[in-house]
Amino acid sequence: MTSRIPVVVGAGMTPFSANRDDCTVRELATEAVLACLADAQLEDISAIEQSVISYESDHFNRQMTLGAILQDHAGLNPAPTVRVEGGGATGALALRTAWTYIQSGVCDSVLVLGCEMNGRSVSSQTANQLFALSADIDWEMMIGGTYTAFYAAMMNAHMQRYGTQEEHFAHVAVRNRHNAQHNPCAQKPMSLTIADVMASRPIAAPYKLLDCSLLSDGAAAMLLATDAWARQHSPAFAQRPRVRYTATGCATDTMRLGDRYPHITNFRAKQLAAQRAYRMAGIQQPLQQIDIAEVYDSYSGAEIQAVEDLGFVAQGQGGFATLEGMFDPDGALPVNTSGGLLGRGAPVGATGIAQAIEIAEQLWQRAGLRQVKDARRGLTDTHAGIGTICVVNIFERVDE
Amino acid sequence: MTADNPQFPFAYRSVQQPAPLPAPDPWADFRQVAVIDLAFTQHYQHSLGKLSRFFLELGHGRFMVTSCPECGQVFAPPRSLCPQCHQITVWQALAGTGTLKTYTLMHFSNGANADVQALALPIILAYVLMDGASTLFPHILKADAASVHAGMRVQVAYSQDATAHPIHQMYFIPLEDV
Repeated sequence: MTSRIPVVVGAGMTPFSANRDDCTVRELATEAVLACLADAQLEDISAIEQSVISYESDHFNRQMTLGAILQDHAGLNPAPTVRVEGGGATGALALRTAWTYIQSGVCDSVLVLGCEMNGRSVSSQTANQLFALSADIDWEMMIGGTYTAFYAAMMNAHMQRYGTQEEHFAHVAVRNRHNAQHNPCAQKPMSLTIADVMASRPIAAPYKLLDCSLLSDGAAAMLLATDAWARQHSPAFAQRPRVRYTATGCATDTMRLGDRYPHITNFRAKQLAAQRAYRMAGIQQPLQQIDIAEVYDSYSGAEIQAVEDLGFVAQGQGGFATLEGMFDPDGALPVNTSGGLLGRGAPVGATGIAQAIEIAEQLWQRAGLRQVKDARRGLTDTHAGIGTICVVNIFERVDE
Repeated sequence: MTADNPQFPFAYRSVQQPAPLPAPDPWADFRQVAVIDLAFTQHYQHSLGKLSRFFLELGHGRFMVTSCPECGQVFAPPRSLCPQCHQITVWQALAGTGTLKTYTLMHFSNGANADVQALALPIILAYVLMDGASTLFPHILKADAASVHAGMRVQVAYSQDATAHPIHQMYFIPLEDV
């Protein structure tokens, strides 16, 4: 029986930017679709059997039923479509949804299209209120809580328990923005020092401005299919290393941090999502068996918590391993070569897809100055809320 | 740039294709852009639902939580269903004292309502393990920021002031020695 494990046929994204007011969200998404189809050298868009549309917020995008509108404007009608939403995990969940569509035999090809207008179309005050709406309205939002504050309280608990230092996560803020310097689609490439991060203005202790990820406008698209469909429809597919989307894991946790007590230092659901993905991919030793990872660095410290929860290092060791360079481009497991949410940017619905695109670019060996030598297996880690929905996806290069 | 057409009373401008896309710009004919101001205002009749009693009792100076009749977990904030046992919970009152487990100093808030906007910065967002509870209750701690530390003892203070949201009929203060 031929394999139904999805392959990556093509990928395309817009540059991530603080402000794309030269276009509407539907036009932005269309740019990503055109880039993706050109990358796949797909001649006939009507060959695509299904789309999965990924966006988080009706409020930011000023549009409900945006999925149907994007479908229309990208020229995907009359193919079936579904919109997927899961907070920060939206893009990764959309990929996972496409994975299940293909694996189940419902269809052989799916275009996954994500976008968001989180940039300067609203003030940062309005942006904070809109994001706070994804917290518990009566118990977290109405007391003035922001996501920065919830993450900060969680990181504070991690520091108390494990001795993690502010310099540890400042290293993440420096490294990811440095990595972004080699990514032409990155929003905020910067050359910084740990001292710069430490001196930036406080937002919610221990997080300072440069520990926080970006508000972005952007779109990203990935075409997934069966191997047979890809060979039939995409001339580009046969010309480059074959990249399979081999495994996906998902798990959930309470939306309020306090309801997880005493598990408030780390992302408990991320541990479970990773275990589920590793079992599917046959991974026993993630640090040895994974070559690259795009990790959800919504805040610099969240990456430290995540590398522990993904099993790269033991609980509590993330900060120390980070400062030693374990996750730097020349380290044991390069993390966020794209620049991550801190350097590349984070238009929510596109974020998880952009992570997967970075992994595909690396496995295709076309990541330019970011290229990790002979990368064969890569992971994306994405979550909603403060680890409320966690999704881990794994991609592998498969040589004949 | 302002509009040269007086019938179009909005600003517009010419833009360039964003980097790093290659020349020639495929959208060259679509580079005149107008950005307009758009405002939405919403008001809701917002139900506090099955947990309304928590808020109603704040007015009487009582701190109410729920507990699971099967496993005994005590939920603060209350939950109406125990997610582990699937049992409908029961109300009980707690003393209103607890221990700060983690916190942050917020240098800005979300500005959600007038109650929040009136708070002096930085705001201490506290996660408190109430005495007798199993979960952490998040709220504002009004205290000297320099003296705040995990492990400190706190208590609920009640406010009879008119507030935009009834959650502001309480806040935390350091436990007063008696």
